[in-house]
Amino acid sequence: MPRLARAFVKTGLVCFMLSLLLGLFMAFQWLPLPGMEPLFWHLLMVGWITQIIFGVSMWMFPGRNRSEGFWVQKWGWFTYILLNTGLLLRVVAEPLNYLSESPVWNLLIILSACSQAAAAVTYTVELWPRIQSKQQRREQRKKKRKRRKADRQKPNRERTN
Amino acid sequence: MPTVSRWMIRASLVYLLAGFIIGAAILISKAYPSYSSVWSLLPIHIEMSIFGWIIQLTMGTAYWILPRYLKGTARGNPTTARIMVIIFNAGILVNVFSFMNILPSTAIVLGRLLEVLAVILFIALHWQRAVSYNK
Repeated sequence: MPRLARAFVKTGLVCFMLSLLLGLFMAFQWLPLPGMEPLFWHLLMVGWITQIIFGVSMWMFPGRNRSEGFWVQKWGWFTYILLNTGLLLRVVAEPLNYLSESPVWNLLIILSACSQAAAAVTYTVELWPRIQSKQQRREQRKKKRKRRKADRQKPNRERTN
Repeated sequence: MPTVSRWMIRASLVYLLAGFIIGAAILISKAYPSYSSVWSLLPIHIEMSIFGWIIQLTMGTAYWILPRYLKGTARGNPTTARIMVIIFNAGILVNVFSFMNILPSTAIVLGRLLEVLAVILFIALHWQRAVSYNK
């Protein structure tokens, strides 16, 4: 399992636990803060379900780059960072925005919204070209092989020249 | 990946983008209550994110990944599968248009009916594929 998928799944599991704990706290009214219900639903549906879908699809869909590293899998890592930054900012800023009138919370809420929407964009950028038929996949592999062959022959040609 | 799965997964990505952008607008309106009119988009955000994104991606991936038939067409009747995709997305769109007041609110019944029909077709297509070929 690649590092990126592990990061998505483990963070997803943490969000799953947090959302259920939040649900429990809400049921027993141990956390009398406003705006807890949308947080519960978003930790569950975005933090857990969407996050696990992101991680598993980036791992399982055809055309994955097998080498590890931030820049090799940049769209995947951008998605991970943007989604979780957005969620974290929301968890902090949304309840505090109800309690305090400081414009900082408004700014954090805007950042959170933009960050999560940007995560959807980077995920689409990563996954869209990987939705391929067998035929398209074969052609892509052929092209890759040809490119590699040409790259290998390049230094030889340069040496003979 | 079969054509039906590619259609469903691509459509689910489009719904993901739309659903998240609408969600972002609703979240921003919490910081600026003067833009609270975007709250009317909440049912569209839920419909797109749950049915359009999560459920459709799951259905598309299941159609691709579940064990195939050893005889005949690998994933059952392809025409039925195509009809399933069309009906499911028609259901989502009818609901979305109804939430936007482009269609009357009673159209939600039609939208939900179309979604149920699509799920019946999905179950019919996949019931026999939930199988193990190991002895």
